[in-house]
Amino acid sequence: MEIFNGRLNNCDRHGNSDGDDRGNLVIDIYPLSSYYFSSKPAVASKDETVADRTQRLKSNYDAHGMRNCVEAVILVELFKHPHLLLLQSKNCIYKLPGGRLRPGESDVDGLKRKLSSKLSADEDCYLSQWEVGECIGTWWKSDFETLPHPYLPASGKNPKECTKIYLVKLPSSKDFIVPQNLKLLAVPLCQLHENRKTYGSIIAGIPQLLSLFSINIVDT
Amino acid sequence: MRSTPKINDTTSNFLLIVNLHPAFLCERSREMVTSSVVNTYPLSSYSFGTKEPKMEKDTSVADRLARMKLNYMKEGMRTSVEAILLVQEHNHPHILLLQIGNTFCKLPGGRLKPGENEVEGLKRKLSSKLAANSPNMQPNWQIGECVAVWWRPNFETIMYPYCPPHISKPKECKKLYVVHLSEREYFAVPKNLKLLAVPLFELYDNVQRYGPVISTIPQQLSRFQFNMIPA
Repeated sequence: MEIFNGRLNNCDRHGNSDGDDRGNLVIDIYPLSSYYFSSKPAVASKDETVADRTQRLKSNYDAHGMRNCVEAVILVELFKHPHLLLLQSKNCIYKLPGGRLRPGESDVDGLKRKLSSKLSADEDCYLSQWEVGECIGTWWKSDFETLPHPYLPASGKNPKECTKIYLVKLPSSKDFIVPQNLKLLAVPLCQLHENRKTYGSIIAGIPQLLSLFSINIVDT
Repeated sequence: MRSTPKINDTTSNFLLIVNLHPAFLCERSREMVTSSVVNTYPLSSYSFGTKEPKMEKDTSVADRLARMKLNYMKEGMRTSVEAILLVQEHNHPHILLLQIGNTFCKLPGGRLKPGENEVEGLKRKLSSKLAANSPNMQPNWQIGECVAVWWRPNFETIMYPYCPPHISKPKECKKLYVVHLSEREYFAVPKNLKLLAVPLFELYDNVQRYGPVISTIPQQLSRFQFNMIPA
């Protein structure tokens, strides 16, 4: 890199340059090895048919309006490349940690509650356990069983579901406690990128949502 | 006129107020300090003229990559900046794209000069491609947030939204910025180019037609709330 007129020429590897003055563009990530993983009893899952589920979602929509979900993007470092934490259930579906908000619950409180339920001992103190950052993407479903899109339905129809993706920053070390019926995986961004077949549009699109950040691998 | 979706109902009372804090516009975003609002005006509020042609410097992909290699030897990694200009039609956001020939579309923007500031460079490129030549008809370019960064590891067409592991000398870094347009502007488009307003739903997932950078813009914009100002 050359020094030109006393300022750095072009960007460095992380894309930092003169144009950036937003300090919150940096995400510090720590090695996977600095985190601890154990399990807890499985959370009872709703065993229902697709038709039952659609019916349940319809009743909820009639009672409470649009279904609001929140999901977390949590990163760790492995082999000098950022890895995303994903939960995998028995039926092989990959999910971001998160879930549905209760009526009237705020995004941040709801996400912290879900994270504690899926990734740590569920009870008390969930409000102080997690650092929820900015919303990096939003997906809407125009119907209960349709695919999500990153914009409101162009038809002007009221969406049935809205999912917001939030960046969640980890401390340098943490104990993760995962329900026994779920597997917690760390998947490299380069494996997620454009891999909609395996991970679905939302997860496969996360590397693009993260691209504007400077991911700083902290050497411990 | 289609009715606005339920989710935007709280914005209808605030359309005429300028400088309203974005946190009040949507119930759900109250705790999101960084939630940003993008005002989009109807396509019809802008006027378009033409100016002299601006030909591409390279006639083929191979030529383009060869010139990139030459520049890299002289100046190091290329930094390019591109603009996402948004308008609305039928209450749906549209992006302005420049079409070369019959099919190839690109965002307005281009390569920065060595040491050039990104914001200044993007304004320079926008004026070069879309502004009339006379100095008193320059649009008020308001450069907003960077929403995506793409990296080119080798002198090849492929780019990634991260610098791939084991690549210490990327050849290009391309940054996409949202550009906020005022309610009225006059754009002068080079005669050899066409300016299109393409809806987000047409871009989404359409890698065949628009390539991986442009077709993923809808996801990258989904962090914003669109305030679609009616005609």
